[in-house]
Amino acid sequence: MASLFKDPSKLSVYRDRRFPGTQEEFEAALLASLTVYVGNMSFYTTEEQAYELFSRAGEIKKIIMGLDKNTKTPCGFCFVLYYSREDAEDAVKYISGTMLDDRPIRVDFDWGFEEGRQWGRGRSGGQVRDEYRTDYDPGRGGYGKMVQKELEAQRELVDYGVGFQTNAPPQFDRADRKRGYGDRNDRGDYQRRRSAPDMARRATDSDSKRDANQEPVLTSSTFSFPPLHRHKTFIEYSMVSCTGKESQVSRER
Amino acid sequence: MCSKVISPNSIIETYETLLSSAATILDEDAGNPSWQPRADFYVYCILASLPWGGSELFEQAPDELERVLVGIQSYISIRRHFDDIAFSVFETDEGNSPNKKDFMEDLWERMQLLSRNGWKVKSVPKPHLSFEAQLVVGKSHRFHPVSCPPPTFTMSSSEILKGQEKHEANLKYPQRLRRLHIFPTNKAENMQPVDRFVVEEYILDVLLFFNGCRKECAFYLVSLPVSFRYEYLMAETIFSQLLLLPNPPFRPIYYTLVIIDLCKALPAAFPSVVVAAVHALFDRISNMDTECRTRLILWFSHHLSNFQFIWPWQEWANVKGLPKWAPQRVFVQEVLEREIRLSYFEKIKQSIEDAAELEGLLPPKAGPNFRYHTDESKESTEGHRISKELVSMVRGRKTTRDIILWVEEQIVPANGTKFAVDVVSQTLLDIGSKSFTHLITVLERYGQIISKLCPDEEMQLLLMDEVSAYWKNSTQMTAIAIDRMMGYRLISNLAIVKWVFSPANVDQFHVSDRPWEILRNTVSKTYNRISDLRKEIQTLRKSIQVAKEASAKAIKELEEAKSILEIVEGQPVSSERPGRLRRLQGFADKAKEEEVTIEESLEAKQALLARGLEEGKELLRLLFKSFVDVLTERLPPVSADGDVPNLRAGDPNVTFPASDPEAATMEIDDENGADNNSDAHAGT
Repeated sequence: MASLFKDPSKLSVYRDRRFPGTQEEFEAALLASLTVYVGNMSFYTTEEQAYELFSRAGEIKKIIMGLDKNTKTPCGFCFVLYYSREDAEDAVKYISGTMLDDRPIRVDFDWGFEEGRQWGRGRSGGQVRDEYRTDYDPGRGGYGKMVQKELEAQRELVDYGVGFQTNAPPQFDRADRKRGYGDRNDRGDYQRRRSAPDMARRATDSDSKRDANQEPVLTSSTFSFPPLHRHKTFIEYSMVSCTGKESQVSRER
Repeated sequence: MCSKVISPNSIIETYETLLSSAATILDEDAGNPSWQPRADFYVYCILASLPWGGSELFEQAPDELERVLVGIQSYISIRRHFDDIAFSVFETDEGNSPNKKDFMEDLWERMQLLSRNGWKVKSVPKPHLSFEAQLVVGKSHRFHPVSCPPPTFTMSSSEILKGQEKHEANLKYPQRLRRLHIFPTNKAENMQPVDRFVVEEYILDVLLFFNGCRKECAFYLVSLPVSFRYEYLMAETIFSQLLLLPNPPFRPIYYTLVIIDLCKALPAAFPSVVVAAVHALFDRISNMDTECRTRLILWFSHHLSNFQFIWPWQEWANVKGLPKWAPQRVFVQEVLEREIRLSYFEKIKQSIEDAAELEGLLPPKAGPNFRYHTDESKESTEGHRISKELVSMVRGRKTTRDIILWVEEQIVPANGTKFAVDVVSQTLLDIGSKSFTHLITVLERYGQIISKLCPDEEMQLLLMDEVSAYWKNSTQMTAIAIDRMMGYRLISNLAIVKWVFSPANVDQFHVSDRPWEILRNTVSKTYNRISDLRKEIQTLRKSIQVAKEASAKAIKELEEAKSILEIVEGQPVSSERPGRLRRLQGFADKAKEEEVTIEESLEAKQALLARGLEEGKELLRLLFKSFVDVLTERLPPVSADGDVPNLRAGDPNVTFPASDPEAATMEIDDENGADNNSDAHAGT
């Protein structure tokens, strides 16, 4: 009777633009898929958290974290591969819309993981949605990238070029830097410095859109900070280079 | 049937058909009593329809109805009473009547009450009443007669076959509801027995038919066509499904979702009912089946993770003072463990601020426990050196073969295999310690080293000791590591069972879910492997059909082409173009090849399935034997005259075996065991 309310052939309203094939092929892939896409995750959600939750729908074969292209750290999505179709269906049925790490996640059938799909497709390296969103989301790096750049550019204007005010690095343990955390901030600074003049021009256009009085007080410390009591680092994934390859051995349980 | 749309006599006829088939099934000679579940189902169909049409039947065909009811009474008296304690959520009766009614007897009683009550039902809507005038003068229809399949006979009277048949019958006609009384009678809603039954049916139907449609499911659950409240009944029914043994019709996670949705749909009423249910179940947890306890733990932790882990923990703070093995304490401990898995340590610690004593129940915070961690202050042993070398080989992308050679030629001769297993396994685990993906990557790339070092059970047991030591601060990673090693066939399922039942782990049985989680995973994986093979075989069978058809078609086309002849110089000669003949021959050959390949695959899979089934049997045998051994060591013996001691009632004649380490540990726990853990956590 559930089919009276749901169209069983329309599995997902999302249509991946990079799918190489027709709409029918896309739908056929979804119908046979053992992979689910998980979205709206926090950057800090770990594989182990996802493992605990998603294993309640069935035995997990693999988890592939979505990574920022530049920093190789999680950027808020992942793929969960199951051994059986029923388990994937149960994951979509029962987990989508519920909480993981205090965030409502979205679970959808995915047309099939391929090497390269673990990278964010946004210009800044993360997901596209984090490029353009305007809300402040502490679990996903604070403001969206475009908003961040504009705000920085605004700051630049005010500073009359008295040295570039770098953002203080997030409060991670110094010791963890050795664990391959990477020179995330340094690279970021370089990018900002390079694009500052362009940003300055754009900032004047968008100034009129913002009512400065309504903006929350912005200091460097409000940019992309993790909740203070976490004290966690991101897991660095550059060593695990073949996350995508399906090996012969791992096809079976 | 109301308003004469269906003739009452045709309904009665249907009832009588069902009833006589049911009676036949129960007959030793004419039927097959092992199929009582089917007979019960037929009678259930009759009884379940009485709330809906009983009063009309009573009005229009009272004598016939009476006959049917008498027939049901005799059916109830000849059927076998169903009393399987293995499927009860709570072990002891707790003061319920000793002659507890089973489902059918209970249902019959409710309908008897209904008939004595003038067939008045509050929970059945009567939409036809507004159309009564038109319906009464309209056409009357006959209900088509139903035919029941004849009972299957068994020639053999072997107990095993009878047992298999009963199992088959139970699978086909499962009992839908095993009523769970959670709330005291003064708290829950009071309704007529028949109304309770009807509302339970409504709820089960909605859960069944709207599975997969969250919004509609919640909507219909909260808007049933009854005029009285039923939140408590709804909670009892949903929990009874969640805790249904052996398995509910849907995955337990479904019921988690339903409860979340109901809490959101009825924010003023339902959450408090859920809280009351949890408290009531918690109070009786020592009496609860252990599988049900586990389900409750998994449900509760998942539920709280959807509501920011808010819970009045201070009401349970006293469990810290209970002995380590006390079910309530273990329950709280395991819920906290799962909550941490779903979020992280600090968050859960914060959530139990108001019950700071419970911090002692939290698992350790620290991560891996690497024996060969290079620390400037510590001395560097041989193990440290070897470990470092292995790490650099891995980083340098040396092949597995090279590393195996290095281990076999340089490490084993000097230090022995056990040491090699120790260092290699700990080091590889450490390389793969950052995340689940890191672990499986290491196991995929370098697992062969481990399997070379651990070809037999003895070494595999050692391996598991190492895994357990490395991940002693994380039950989740211990379970995952062992599970994946079994997946990559580095450890056999039998070895895992042996390891779980080794003394060190048996000591954990009552104080932690750790060994049980590993055991569950092992049994699951064994079973899943078998069902995967079954599915593959099914798919291959279908492919063979397709391939056979394609092959036959290709051959037919070829033959047809070949048979096109013409007379040349008095001799029949093929007149088809040679090019086309060659092509068709090629197709036919290829199709045949394809068919043969699939057949070979099928044979291979069937062989694997046969082996898998044997493995499964061996696993079950080992499991049962292990339980028997462990229990025999600890149970008092059967008395000389064959009397089984009554352990529950505190029989003074029961003497436990003299050297009972369990009893000794329990006494100590009463005094200091409860505090042992808190010292370890004082620093966090």
